[in-house]
Amino acid sequence: MKKKSNILTVTKKEIARFVGDKRMIMMILLPAVMIYVMYSFMGSAFTNLFSVDDEYSPIAYTVNLPRPFIPMLEATGLEIIEASDRDVIQIKEYISKKQGELLLVFPENFIEIINDYNVQTSMVPAPNVEIYFNSSDINSAGAFNNIILILDNYEASLVNKFDINRGILNADLVTADDLSASIMSMMMPMLLLMFLYSGCASLAPESIAGEKERGTLATLLVTPLKRSELAIGKILSLGLLSLLSGFVTALATILSLPKLMGDAAEFMDTGIYNATDYLLLACVILSTVLLLVTLISIMSAFAKTVKETTAVVTPLMIVIMLIGLSGMFSSTVPDSLYFLIPLYGSVQSMSGIFSMSYSTINIALSCAGNLLLAFIGAFVLTKMFNSEKVMFSK
Amino acid sequence: MGVILQAEGLSKTFRLSAKQQKLQKTKEKVIKAVDDLSFEANEGEIFGLLGPNGAGKTTTLRILATLIKADSGEATIDGASIRTQPEIVRSKIGFLTSELKLEDFFTPNYLFDFFAKLHHIDAAKSSQRKEELFKKFGVDEFAEVKVSNLSTGMKQKASLVISIVHDPNIIIFDEPTNGLDVLTAKVVTDFLIELREQGKTIIVSTHIFSLVEKICDRVGIIINGKMAVCDTLKSLVSDKPLEDVFFDIYSQEVGDTL
Repeated sequence: MKKKSNILTVTKKEIARFVGDKRMIMMILLPAVMIYVMYSFMGSAFTNLFSVDDEYSPIAYTVNLPRPFIPMLEATGLEIIEASDRDVIQIKEYISKKQGELLLVFPENFIEIINDYNVQTSMVPAPNVEIYFNSSDINSAGAFNNIILILDNYEASLVNKFDINRGILNADLVTADDLSASIMSMMMPMLLLMFLYSGCASLAPESIAGEKERGTLATLLVTPLKRSELAIGKILSLGLLSLLSGFVTALATILSLPKLMGDAAEFMDTGIYNATDYLLLACVILSTVLLLVTLISIMSAFAKTVKETTAVVTPLMIVIMLIGLSGMFSSTVPDSLYFLIPLYGSVQSMSGIFSMSYSTINIALSCAGNLLLAFIGAFVLTKMFNSEKVMFSK
Repeated sequence: MGVILQAEGLSKTFRLSAKQQKLQKTKEKVIKAVDDLSFEANEGEIFGLLGPNGAGKTTTLRILATLIKADSGEATIDGASIRTQPEIVRSKIGFLTSELKLEDFFTPNYLFDFFAKLHHIDAAKSSQRKEELFKKFGVDEFAEVKVSNLSTGMKQKASLVISIVHDPNIIIFDEPTNGLDVLTAKVVTDFLIELREQGKTIIVSTHIFSLVEKICDRVGIIINGKMAVCDTLKSLVSDKPLEDVFFDIYSQEVGDTL
């Protein structure tokens, strides 16, 4: 008699194994939830990134601005300040220092010139409008985009009777330092947060859930060691190791960036920051690591095994990524109170430090927010070490 | 000989998960692991807690070691309350169970020093004690070998030595010879007898009749979380072997003949 193939038997067993394990189902569903949440968040973050402050009127310095243009420019929310040719160099400096948003230089008698200009027959180049802005200033970049749109439409309606920024190579008045700061503030908070999280997530589960799983934590619990000493000792050692892990990873990333980014890497100059900047950054990183280690330790103590910890910390990882992205896409500095929000405050502080536009009080608030939650977390962890349900549940 | 350990009315219930209910074929949501348990242990004696698996022996010892809390009842160990002075209790006892493990990554030498520090023993005293205990149990031969590379017997010897690093007066052993080869088991039982000669009090839980007959002065028989009998070994086994005595008591308590 021919034996039946066992393919179906094996398939059934595999499906039964999968359907019976809630964790495996979670692992399938979680990426879908993550994608939905992340994309929704990124969509609104992108909108936020490219939208200028509605309540703020960017200052546009104008030279020889033709009268018909005034209502068009004012409709975009610009505050127009008339200037002369003599002021151009000084105004460029203002824009470079983010003290003004735009400089528009029209040729004298612009309207008459374009009226007289014939694209087919004229032997001289079309009249040229120069527009200067600063790409590291969100309001300046936004105003520039609006003006370009208006002038392009106008130019098209006149059958290209004038040019914009013809032959002008340095219309963007951003300084090299500002450009570096802008790129660094966009990339580094997210990267640093992820590195620190990875460091913590790779160490804490082994130290707590791993010890629980192997029965070595209970060996410690029958000594006179206070539960609070155990909790704080774990947090400090894990914090130190996570810091080291985060530092090594960050260093490797910074060193490899020139290879990854090619020419663009020249704009990521870490030399633009001074000792105070680095000191403040270290404070933010330290408080962040202590908080992350505490949170992961709590989740790790809650889980029964290292494997289970991986599933338990996944929601935290999503939150961390979203918070990291918030720094990447935020264009405005939030109110000081927001800096008290743990981790969010860290990202905003790091963003401020890298963009060289921070307030020490805000950084202190973010560190305080992190440390306060870490302290509460250490207390919770102590209680968990005292709880037989948590420590000895099978 | 004064009373050094006194347990009165200890009770402990555990909530059963759906999985555990299924496993134990019960619809009860809680299980009473220890039920109004009282007993005493005197200085310089070996007290044996005898009972079948699931009788509540380990739970009782865990309550005494302050690893878990009793729902009701109280116990004092050398004058310290398990409820209000758990840290003092832990400093006075040595607790050894097969469920408590040593970190695989470290050596017995490192772990001895580590646990000596946790017990606040000064370096000179700790060093002297380490030398004595390591020599006695032959741990010095593998003192610098990582625990992960030790055999079960070696691990048990290392665990035993480390559990008494602070020279406690009361030693609680949960199934001390479980899983050990006959040679290591003999080392352990001989050591328990030696500890008694030094005036230490030893509480052991076991289901091995021969071990109780060999080393215990007094015996408490636990069945379904209750102390069925608590008496001297001599009184219990006056006319027949302990095994027969146990099954008689078991039949009376459970209402079942084996």
